[in-house]
Amino acid sequence: MKRTICAFTGGIIVLLFLVTGTASAQNVSDLKFNEILVHNDSLNVDAFGMHSSWIEIFNSGYNTVDIGGCYLTNDKSNPTKYWIPTGDPSTKIPARCYLLFWADGKPSRGILHLNFDLNNVETLALYDASGRMLVDEITVPKTQYSNTSYGLIEKANEQGEKNMVWTYLEKTTPASDNDHSKKVSSGEQFVKYDPTGIGMAVIALSVVFCSLALLYIIFKNIGAIFTRKAKKAKTTGEVVVKETKSDQISGEVSAAIAMALHLYESEIHDDENMVLTIKRISRAYSPWSSKIYTLRKYPQ
Amino acid sequence: MTQFLSFIGDNIQTFLHFTAFANLTVGHLVMIAIGLIFIYLAIAKEFEPMLLVPIGFGILVGNIAFVPGFKIGVYEAGSVLNYLYFGVIQGLYPPLIFLGIGAMTDFSALISNPKLVLIGAAAQLGIFGAYALSLQLGYSPTEAGAIAIIGGADGPTAIFLSSKLAPDLMGAIAISAYSYMALVPVIQPPIMKLLTTKKERLIRMKPPRAVSKKEKIIFAITGMLLTTFIVPSGIPLLGMLFFGNLLKESGVTKRLADTAKGPLIDIVTILIGLTVGASTQATTFLTWKSVGIFALGAGSFVIATFGGVLFVKFLNLFLKEGNKINPLIGNSGVSAVPDSARVSQVVGLQYDKTNHLLMHAMGPNVAGVIGSAVAAGILLSFLM
Repeated sequence: MKRTICAFTGGIIVLLFLVTGTASAQNVSDLKFNEILVHNDSLNVDAFGMHSSWIEIFNSGYNTVDIGGCYLTNDKSNPTKYWIPTGDPSTKIPARCYLLFWADGKPSRGILHLNFDLNNVETLALYDASGRMLVDEITVPKTQYSNTSYGLIEKANEQGEKNMVWTYLEKTTPASDNDHSKKVSSGEQFVKYDPTGIGMAVIALSVVFCSLALLYIIFKNIGAIFTRKAKKAKTTGEVVVKETKSDQISGEVSAAIAMALHLYESEIHDDENMVLTIKRISRAYSPWSSKIYTLRKYPQ
Repeated sequence: MTQFLSFIGDNIQTFLHFTAFANLTVGHLVMIAIGLIFIYLAIAKEFEPMLLVPIGFGILVGNIAFVPGFKIGVYEAGSVLNYLYFGVIQGLYPPLIFLGIGAMTDFSALISNPKLVLIGAAAQLGIFGAYALSLQLGYSPTEAGAIAIIGGADGPTAIFLSSKLAPDLMGAIAISAYSYMALVPVIQPPIMKLLTTKKERLIRMKPPRAVSKKEKIIFAITGMLLTTFIVPSGIPLLGMLFFGNLLKESGVTKRLADTAKGPLIDIVTILIGLTVGASTQATTFLTWKSVGIFALGAGSFVIATFGGVLFVKFLNLFLKEGNKINPLIGNSGVSAVPDSARVSQVVGLQYDKTNHLLMHAMGPNVAGVIGSAVAAGILLSFLM
């Protein structure tokens, strides 16, 4: 029976491992290409008033990431084509925010202006500071429309599974979320399906019960192991000094508890100027407090 | 001379305009009265004095009417109170309080009789009952989640969750949670008596077995791993709770445990109490929503007590004679530590002067703390 319980507990834990996903670290690997505009004929302009192509990078993590020191390229055989300068505040991308690079082939205009453009571009890649580890890449389709950006958006497939896919966007969204449709919060969604809150009560209570029941099963077994050990030690005559010390409540402790309860119950307890304790009180020696000096000496 | 007098007159007028008398509203007076009641309850009736004194005084501080724009109020960026309030808004104080609670909690009762942990889970019914009620009263899902946590009877958890889900309602939720925690000795006994028979109230439970240090250390580590693996959003609270407990039980970090359960928790309690109290400015606090929160808070405590007591009765159906649990400890699944356990003891003694339930009630009581933190984690992951 106990083996079954152990196996059951183990099974639940393994199952929980299996049904969970993986978490990513909060670093350069959180950076992703999010949107590009190859033919910017009449949309947004840079600080020089030019309609240039641009690349948008998204920090998908939950911490600020500095893209400075990384490399951007449109040619994977030359991964270190454009080195993003370090030490500039503009290269720090806050959590869940975006950074726009102008692909105009004019790096002299600032660190956010790349030394290549997007004409006839096939691939875009982002490498880490070593220039060897690929952080993210996209394959750019040959057909690119005027003033139409190509970006990453969540779409449902035929089976209804939602995936992030690259597609031509209806609206360009530089330095912002590609999906501008009204979003429903998970709370609102929950209420849509469960307006009375009973579903939430059942699910959430079950989760609370499961987690505490797991705790119960594990500690029932651990308790059984410890009790068995103590019994075994007793039958073999083995004296486990440490265990017995902590396993048994000493007479002084029981007496102190009984005394405290008695005082509390009889309501004769009051604010005392002394403390009843089972701790050893150490008193520094002084002739003034020494018992020897306070005792009367027998007459000679 | 006339010019000088007129200049002085103007300045005196400006000064008078800046006094609290000139800016006082009925709302401020009502809130000051509530603050005074809190202080009275804490000092005269000794209802949760550690919490009600700072909160009550905070209410007084927060309801001195002033002209905005001078960095005075708790809601004014850059004011001293606003800096102190930062720990509440960002959910910084509650985990620190949990660290202290962990360092002062003895989980022996729970470890020696692990089935008591389930009572702590059952009493969380109050949370989800209040959630359903709040939705019916027209609160938004996130507001309903934040209000519901009052049923967990855990002040720090209530502040933590409401700071994430409904920061606007945090003052009302915190005040409501702490008020009802203080009123546990008034709310729970009638429900406990209503749901139990005299025979049940006289059930004597087996004395808990002694728990070794090793078991306590294993509990602190496994408890944290298990609960946070299931509900990672509970990490700030559960992680700190079990960490504090490990500091205590390891026996080698006595200084750290002493700091956590002593000076640290005292400092944080002062800051959280005062700032939460100060956040109840009449201008933002006195609304119908706040009144609703108080009503729902009372409801959630009642449901939680029902849940705990009825669950023990249900559990007893499957337990052999001699192993049965006294249903009077069901109420202590509501995690107001140690007040609800004390209620079990007091009510138990009314029927049998030698039946001490305190040790048994501490089991579900601390399980309730874990349960409410897990429930908060679930609400966060579902509603955020």
